[in-house]
Amino acid sequence: MRVVCLAWALVYVPLHVWAQRSPAAEEVEAAYLYQFGRYVDWPADRQDNSDTFFICVLGTDPFGATLDETVAGRVIGGGQVAVRRIAGPDESQGCRILFVSPSEESRMPEVLKALEGTGVLTVGRGPTFTRQGGMIAFTFEGRKVRFVVNLAATDAEALTLSSQLLRVAGRVEK
Amino acid sequence: MLRFRDATIKTKLTWTSALVTSIALLLAGSAFVAYYVISFRSSLVRNLSVQAETIALNSEPALRFDDPRSAEGTLSALRADPNVVTAAIYTAAGDLFASYGADPGGFPAEAAAPGGAATARFQGRRLELDHPIVSEGEHLGTVRLTYGLDDLYSDVTRFVVIAIVVLACSIMVALLASARIQRSVSDPVARLAAAAQTVSREEDYSVRVEPSRNRDELATLIDTFNDMLARIQAREAEIEAGKQRFQVLNEELEQRVSQRTAELEAINKELEAFTYSVSHDLRAPLRRIDGFAKLLVDEYGGDLPDEAKHYLARVREGTRQMGLLVDDLLNLARLGRQEPRLQVAGLSSIVERVAGVLKRDTEGRDIDWQLQPLPFVECDPALLEVVFTNLLSNAVKYTRPRARAVIHVGAIEENGHPVIFVRDNGVGFSMKYADKLFGVFQRLHRAEDFEGTGVGLATVQRILHKHAGAIWAEAELDKGACFYFTLGGTAAGPINA
Repeated sequence: MRVVCLAWALVYVPLHVWAQRSPAAEEVEAAYLYQFGRYVDWPADRQDNSDTFFICVLGTDPFGATLDETVAGRVIGGGQVAVRRIAGPDESQGCRILFVSPSEESRMPEVLKALEGTGVLTVGRGPTFTRQGGMIAFTFEGRKVRFVVNLAATDAEALTLSSQLLRVAGRVEK
Repeated sequence: MLRFRDATIKTKLTWTSALVTSIALLLAGSAFVAYYVISFRSSLVRNLSVQAETIALNSEPALRFDDPRSAEGTLSALRADPNVVTAAIYTAAGDLFASYGADPGGFPAEAAAPGGAATARFQGRRLELDHPIVSEGEHLGTVRLTYGLDDLYSDVTRFVVIAIVVLACSIMVALLASARIQRSVSDPVARLAAAAQTVSREEDYSVRVEPSRNRDELATLIDTFNDMLARIQAREAEIEAGKQRFQVLNEELEQRVSQRTAELEAINKELEAFTYSVSHDLRAPLRRIDGFAKLLVDEYGGDLPDEAKHYLARVREGTRQMGLLVDDLLNLARLGRQEPRLQVAGLSSIVERVAGVLKRDTEGRDIDWQLQPLPFVECDPALLEVVFTNLLSNAVKYTRPRARAVIHVGAIEENGHPVIFVRDNGVGFSMKYADKLFGVFQRLHRAEDFEGTGVGLATVQRILHKHAGAIWAEAELDKGACFYFTLGGTAAGPINA
């Protein structure tokens, strides 16, 4: 019972806070999603049939047009940045960065499990996300959007996060 | 304070070397300081720009992910350089993002350069450098570093102190060195000046300037100066010797002249005394001869044959003439003894008196007397009467052959002094005997033609000499004669000599 209470506190309280976020938080997250691309190196042997740098959103899209506006005309590593919305991990082919929407909360471990070995940078919301095996999770520090990094997860996928990014990261988990 | 241009050469040289040394060191020091400051500044800007660039690179993600703490961590690395006073990162909008050093409140937001250009400003003792944070063409913000220039200033201060010390030492060394060098310049000049002053003040030409050991222009100057002095000294000695010789000669001459004069005066006196006594003593026998000849004629005139009477008349004529001669000689001798009694007298009245006497004596002769007015002069009137009597008597006498005699007395002006003349149209004489005219007993005519004693003109000359005057004559044989005389010192020469 105590564990349930703790779990509730861990899940519900952040969600409760989530509900009160400022509208600008989505814009910041959208911008950060794109910025992560600049500080992460993907392994050279990654099979990439497309020149396009895809940022994918799995589940219900919280950004709407904001993300598309943010990446419009941007280029990372010579590839045009584009947004793709997918329904399941099986559609993640070609995605570099995958934002797992809070709507997938219930099946998160399965989703993350399915994405193992695809070399995609997984980003989610709340500290639970990284604890469940996600790579980067957006958190709050007061009203400011920060993020934590799960280095064990990124190492497993052979993704190299720049030290500069790690210095900026609110918390780094091994 | 002595003015520089009036200072001695030694002082001038000393100051010149000190001045030149100072100027050279000041210029070199200033140039070095300027170069040091400029190069320090430019290298400072370069180094600071590198640091700013590093900070810009490292703070790029902090700006992107809005993490001021990370940026402050980056900035805190500046601790290694204590000269960095403050550092700040501004966002592209110009807001202060992160800071280091001073209170963040001391970072004016609006001061951030909004543009993307790097700038460096030196403000007082600080360098303010703005460096843009640009990533892939996107201007993220600005790094501002403020660098204290205390090191530079303390370096410059230290250098200035060193320069002053070096300057002082250099001036001292330069003065010591120049003291040695200038000894070869100023000492000879000073010696020269001292010698020149001695020569000028004491007229001592035996002074010599000690010759210089060097072989420069000053040595030549000293040698020339000494040479000149030697020559002046020699000439001075010559002049002195000549002067002495001249003086000796002069003294000898004067002595001889006074000796001769004394001799002459003695002879003259003797002669006058002799003449006087002879003339005086001659009178008594003459009177006896004449007296007895007269007795003979008076007592025995009837008994004597005519021839004897004629002889007696000749004897008496001879004694009469001799009496005249003795009188004249006595007059002449008397003139030698007495001084003229000078007073201002009109010459015209004297001439008229003399001419009046002569007119009476020459009644029956046709004589044209032309007597012009004569000046008043200072003279002895009695003696001047003797002069005119002689001259006019001569004129009357030597014009006797003329049917109509013309005797002209007048005065002309020569050199501001009157010259009196007596002109006649008589027989005249040849100018070649002119020098014998005024000698005693000198006669130019035979006594048979013109009577006379030959003493008259000698008497005239003596009188005029006594008046410090002169007499001379112009004549031509058979054309008449003209006698000129002056009174009172002016030795006027013959008008047509």
